[in-house]
Amino acid sequence: MILQNIKLAMTSMKGGRMRTLLSLLGIIIGVASVVTILNLGNSASDSITGSITSSGYDMLYLSAFDSAKTRDTFDELFGTRLMSSVGGIEVVMPTASSSARIRNENQIKSQSIMGVYSDYAANNSYDVAYGSWFTVEDSIFKRQVAVLGSSAAEALFPGGNAVGNYITIYSGTKGKRYLVTGVMEEKDASFGASYNSTVYIPFNTFTQRFQHMDMVGSYVIKVKDGFDPKKVNSDVEAYLNELVGSDNFFLLSSASLADMVSEVTSTLSIFLAAIGGISLLVGGIGIMNIMLVSVAERTREIGIRKALGASPSVIKSQFLTEAITLTSIGGIVGILLGIGISKLVTNMAGWEFSISVSACLLSVGFSTATGIFFGLYPAAKAAKLDPIESLNYE
Amino acid sequence: MREMDRPDIQAMIDSRRIPIIYMHDVHRYYIVGDIVVKALDGISVKIYKGDFTAIMGPSGSGKSTMMNLIGCLDTPTSGGILIDGEDTRGLDETELAYIRNRKIGFVFQQFNLLGKLNALENVMTPLIYSGDVSYRERRERAENALERVGLSDRMRHLPNELSGGQKQRVAIARAIVTQPSIILADEPTGALDTKTGDQIMELFQELNSEGNTVVVVTHNEEIGKSCSAQIRIRDGRREV
Repeated sequence: MILQNIKLAMTSMKGGRMRTLLSLLGIIIGVASVVTILNLGNSASDSITGSITSSGYDMLYLSAFDSAKTRDTFDELFGTRLMSSVGGIEVVMPTASSSARIRNENQIKSQSIMGVYSDYAANNSYDVAYGSWFTVEDSIFKRQVAVLGSSAAEALFPGGNAVGNYITIYSGTKGKRYLVTGVMEEKDASFGASYNSTVYIPFNTFTQRFQHMDMVGSYVIKVKDGFDPKKVNSDVEAYLNELVGSDNFFLLSSASLADMVSEVTSTLSIFLAAIGGISLLVGGIGIMNIMLVSVAERTREIGIRKALGASPSVIKSQFLTEAITLTSIGGIVGILLGIGISKLVTNMAGWEFSISVSACLLSVGFSTATGIFFGLYPAAKAAKLDPIESLNYE
Repeated sequence: MREMDRPDIQAMIDSRRIPIIYMHDVHRYYIVGDIVVKALDGISVKIYKGDFTAIMGPSGSGKSTMMNLIGCLDTPTSGGILIDGEDTRGLDETELAYIRNRKIGFVFQQFNLLGKLNALENVMTPLIYSGDVSYRERRERAENALERVGLSDRMRHLPNELSGGQKQRVAIARAIVTQPSIILADEPTGALDTKTGDQIMELFQELNSEGNTVVVVTHNEEIGKSCSAQIRIRDGRREV
């Protein structure tokens, strides 16, 4: 019976192709926009959180503000103290950064410069392209060695061959020569670090040359495997609140930032999808309209079918099936269109494409529900028609 | 015709003939505005299995109302109607649809075929509403019915590809495919030329001689006379 009804629906749609298409357009646009928006939201959120967590989901970033109160706390031994007070920390890496003029032969460039520990690259999954990263000894002995980010290397050595050559880094008016030991691979900027444009030197070298005190500006804290980064984040926060007060530091974890970003994008997606939902609703009214026209036009057919023994419920299910078939076809076309559009946009934006399965299911469900809801009234109207009057209908 | 007022049950049993259509003192009133139109005003009729009966009368006589009541498209204001033993009083739409499907085969003046379905699909349609007939059986029975009316070579044609006489044959095939108790034809020759109309009446005659009960509603004297019995109606009552 249902198959029969679907076949009937197809036959009656074939009768008015143009009209069917037009009335379907509302549903198609509605579903396509919902699917596109949710897919794009999904892809954007994936791509943003992906870049945030590219250096690891288990990183905390701590910035200390310079004040009388913090000066005693954020010294070189802060890391050791923190690790003994808060569990779940694998390593605390002080980093110090500044901007400096750097000269290579006849050109002078202003570059950002960072003082980091020898395990910085490994802890950030940051790979060496040429040469090598500096060693523990380099740091201990405050050697004047430097590793260049990929775009910093291009800026300072346009012809390549940076490794083994010297650059001069100025602090004030005094310049010192540094041996370039390595050039890094490209790496997407993650918050707290724009890797490629930075020049890296050993932490101890940096503090000696650029900050003539023991205080350190910021720390990268790596959480131990098996510990919840958010839990460690709040433990560190509690520890510091007590120690220096909440006004004197800024703590951020990649996990919580990623959460925040995906929350924002999903809220935005839901909001936009709701707007798409409105066009689905409008499309549904279009379906109701076409079904009412169809019932009026086929009054005689309904009369004939009733004379042949179709009960009101059979007539009702025939027209309801027709409405649902219509909206389902619209839904499927809309989903394909939506996937196509969102694929195109993600390609152009350079995001990773990801299909939101729940969005597709939601749209199918919603368009079918639209068919049922807006098909019920016309179907009931058809079922209620008087057989004698409809047989004599011209 | 006073004896028609009461069912003479003893006589029926004696003759072993139970009417397939039994109408007793049937009234059918319509209210149009504040006027009561008495379309049928006390009609009693017995039609037996195997009869070939014409219901005749001028337009406005009430014969269409009578056809609607026999065809279970309508129910009487008062009085009783039994169709093949089924009392139609107080039945709802669904129950009436069931009786129409099982016991009545309609043939209309305007053929009333479904334009988007071919001849075979048209004939199969009533069997869809019978519910328990498989597709294979529906097709087989529809093919047999079309063969019976001489249209085995037109099964895949759409109605608009058929002549008037052929359309009416498809309609007759559709009426007999359910093996109904009554074939109920409303002016079946009204839209056809005389020659084609005669052929259709011959077909009804054949179907009747095969044991089918045929009721033809008509205002046409010649058509009425070609049936074996006539019931004449005027102003909602039987003419004596």
